[in-house]
Amino acid sequence: MTGRPYAAIIGVGRTKFGELWYENPESMVVKAGLDALESVDKGLHRANIQACYFGSFMYQVTNKLGLVPGYISRELGLNVPMTQTEAACASSSSALHNACLAIKSGIYDVVLVGGFEKMTDRYGKIADDLMFAADPHEFDSGFTFSGLYATIMARYMYEFGRNDEKCRIALAQIAVKNHHHAVKNPYAQFRSEIRVEDVFKSTLVADPIRLLHCSPISDGAVAVVLCKPEIARKYTDDPVYIVASQQATDHVSLFSRISTLEIRATRLAVGKALKEAGITLKDIQIAEAHDCFTIEECLFMEDSGFYRKGEGWKGIYESIDSFNGSKHIPYVGDGWEVFVNVGGGLKADGHPVGATGLRQIYECFKQMRNEAGENQVDVEGGVRYALCHNIGGSGGIANVHILTREVKL
Amino acid sequence: MSEPITRRKITVDYGIRVSKCEICGRRYFPPKPFCDVEGRKSRITYEDYFYNRGVFYAGTVVRRPTNKFSYLGSFIVGIIDFNGEVKVPGRITDFVVDSSEVDLSEFIGKEVLPRFRKLYVDGESGLIYYSSLVFSFADDYYEARDYKPLKPSEKSEKPGIVGYGVYIPKFRIKNDDPSAGAGILERAVPFPDEDATTFAVEAGKRALIHASLDGRYIKKCYVGSESTPYAVKPSASTVIQALKLGEPYEDGFFSGGLDTQFACKAATDLFIDAVALVESPVFRGEYVMVIGADNSQAAPGDPLDYTVGAGATAYIFGKRDVIATLDYYVSYTSDTPDFYRRDGEKYPRHGGRFTGEPAYFKHILSAIRGVLKESGLTPGDISYVALHSPNVKFPVRAALDAGFSMDQIKPSLVAQYIGNLYSGSSPTALAALLDIAEPGCRILMVSYGSGAGSDAYIFTVTEKIEEKREKSISVLSQINNAKRQYVDYSTYRKWKESSGL
Repeated sequence: MTGRPYAAIIGVGRTKFGELWYENPESMVVKAGLDALESVDKGLHRANIQACYFGSFMYQVTNKLGLVPGYISRELGLNVPMTQTEAACASSSSALHNACLAIKSGIYDVVLVGGFEKMTDRYGKIADDLMFAADPHEFDSGFTFSGLYATIMARYMYEFGRNDEKCRIALAQIAVKNHHHAVKNPYAQFRSEIRVEDVFKSTLVADPIRLLHCSPISDGAVAVVLCKPEIARKYTDDPVYIVASQQATDHVSLFSRISTLEIRATRLAVGKALKEAGITLKDIQIAEAHDCFTIEECLFMEDSGFYRKGEGWKGIYESIDSFNGSKHIPYVGDGWEVFVNVGGGLKADGHPVGATGLRQIYECFKQMRNEAGENQVDVEGGVRYALCHNIGGSGGIANVHILTREVKL
Repeated sequence: MSEPITRRKITVDYGIRVSKCEICGRRYFPPKPFCDVEGRKSRITYEDYFYNRGVFYAGTVVRRPTNKFSYLGSFIVGIIDFNGEVKVPGRITDFVVDSSEVDLSEFIGKEVLPRFRKLYVDGESGLIYYSSLVFSFADDYYEARDYKPLKPSEKSEKPGIVGYGVYIPKFRIKNDDPSAGAGILERAVPFPDEDATTFAVEAGKRALIHASLDGRYIKKCYVGSESTPYAVKPSASTVIQALKLGEPYEDGFFSGGLDTQFACKAATDLFIDAVALVESPVFRGEYVMVIGADNSQAAPGDPLDYTVGAGATAYIFGKRDVIATLDYYVSYTSDTPDFYRRDGEKYPRHGGRFTGEPAYFKHILSAIRGVLKESGLTPGDISYVALHSPNVKFPVRAALDAGFSMDQIKPSLVAQYIGNLYSGSSPTALAALLDIAEPGCRILMVSYGSGAGSDAYIFTVTEKIEEKREKSISVLSQINNAKRQYVDYSTYRKWKESSGL
């Protein structure tokens, strides 16, 4: 550890992810927020919250509402400063980043961070709406988000896995693994096992991407309570610390980036976060990767440095193919082992875009405190370091947070 | 999309405008006034890739499109790489994919050509969006020639045609019963993202390439059509913007133009005006473009539904580097209500057999008589004849009645394979003759527009035609193009409706 943590996480809460037909955006946030407040071991009153940070992407279009602070003020009965952040799928991790900066700056001691998305209110138009996170020229060319990632996947397979069926299989195995991880996650949208052949038989969405390569359209909200590290034990004996909060950006448009096969923002943010946390990738035991489409999890494994560029699919294939256990499936490499998306990731837990970044924090918090119940990951001695990777659009922004329980203040 | 956003996008998308740093050579799309590397030292210039060739770098088949693109079904989109210098997004058009998975690696590295197409429309009454970020594979139907504008000759001569371009869509429908189409065997069908305006741009682009002429010299553009996609908003301004006609100034051009309407002679009526303009000391324009473009409309099941085609032909008139001088002209007009479409109606109506004798034949033959008298020529002095071709039967009978032989009319009977192009009909028939004519040939072209009138022109082909021929894409090469693709009646109707939006 190279410095003082940004903040301590002392409480988390979430809704189930899925088609929440009877919820409003604000009702979901309130449920997750109150759940997070209630979860604080030694108790925390709403009056202790000094500020709120929210992340959401499309509420103005999908739910016809604005001024999120005003809604949250009314619903939570708070009048504290509130900031809403939009960064597409990375909205709530961006809110978390801002909250971390605020806590670390010393302005606030306790803040509530929330993320939400209510996507099913405009099911018929959601494919159009999601393209707000892309360049208008991409929309006008007929791209969809699955189309953008399919373009990456097609080029990836062309350059690195041409004529090798194992590459195609590996990119399906990611979905199989993440569904497997979600079976015992009570909040997950999909708690069913799937097979590689199911992926290959599923509907074509944007060649070579099929329906089961994709994360779903979801509703949901997540909230976490942060406090100044020095006062964390006032609220819990088991805080989880954020020791790195890093962000990097890149072009909103896939076509104009230096490389179509690398999410540069991921590489930059992971590199900075590891340096900030004073650790190496080998220290990471669980990682929440942004698997909006399976190719993106593969890219994460490469861009973060776990596997070399172009060889992620081989590592993934060998890791999953050689797995003969029954619980979580780790990726393995030279001297390292990491469990990725232990709650099912975006693929199976669900992807209400503005909630996803905090859902990753929620998952790691639970796993690190050994509170994940039946879905608890088996890591000898418990999880010491977790990494959360959340990107926006097709890679226009990446937020990386590193969490640990081992901090000397 | 709002009108102001649309305007801003037009200035970039029609030309595929890229910014270039003159210091380091880096290029940017969308264009920006700043180089990431050179910073404050940046020296930015702008260039258009409208005539360039790119390469399909990567892409996909979108099978669940956004609502705006659902009218296209499944289609290929991708990233297009221009010389490794800049990449742009683009949709591949004129390409039908079936339901089985496509191996995209088959397309990676293939050469592509920019096209001018419709993106989508805002409902029944909103804007129609166009772009050149739509491509076709270079080895597909669409032929292209390199565009190398040359400095016009110093020598001024008798005005006439300087260049021409014909655009016939890739798709065709066969007439199972040729008698139903009065001799028309097959017809050109627009892809759903095409309309009369996109035809006009494609034909105009080919005319500029054929003439090797910089568009800045063209100061007037007429688009004759009876299927312009807007009731009010000119196709001519879209053509001027896309082809950059006239001297550029800020983000517009010093040129003029308008859409013209006179049924199927909406374009030919302007040939004489074009020639008159280039001779005018006030105009100072030197060149005029006239385009006949139509996505010819017919009500389902109407006899015309077996004859209508789609496409456009553009002519550039001027007095330098002329390939065919315009020697004689006569126009004949009467108020004859044989074919019409009321404002707001989707399909035209017609008077059945009344469209023949008192309409088509009367006007065509009167104009021929008039122009022969005017010129003092006889049918024997004419090498070829091109007549408006609503079918094959009519022009053949009219030519024979006027004293011409089958040999004189036959090469122009391209409607047999592309259908009735309405405003583009006689201009395309003329182009088919220019494709084969040798210097010295005398060509008679007579149009017919319902309502009703005929324009008769006599051209004489010059030596210049030979040196420009390699730059043309002939009507016959488009008719016989091995990549043309046939569709069934229900697809034709569906696409026709979509194009007519």
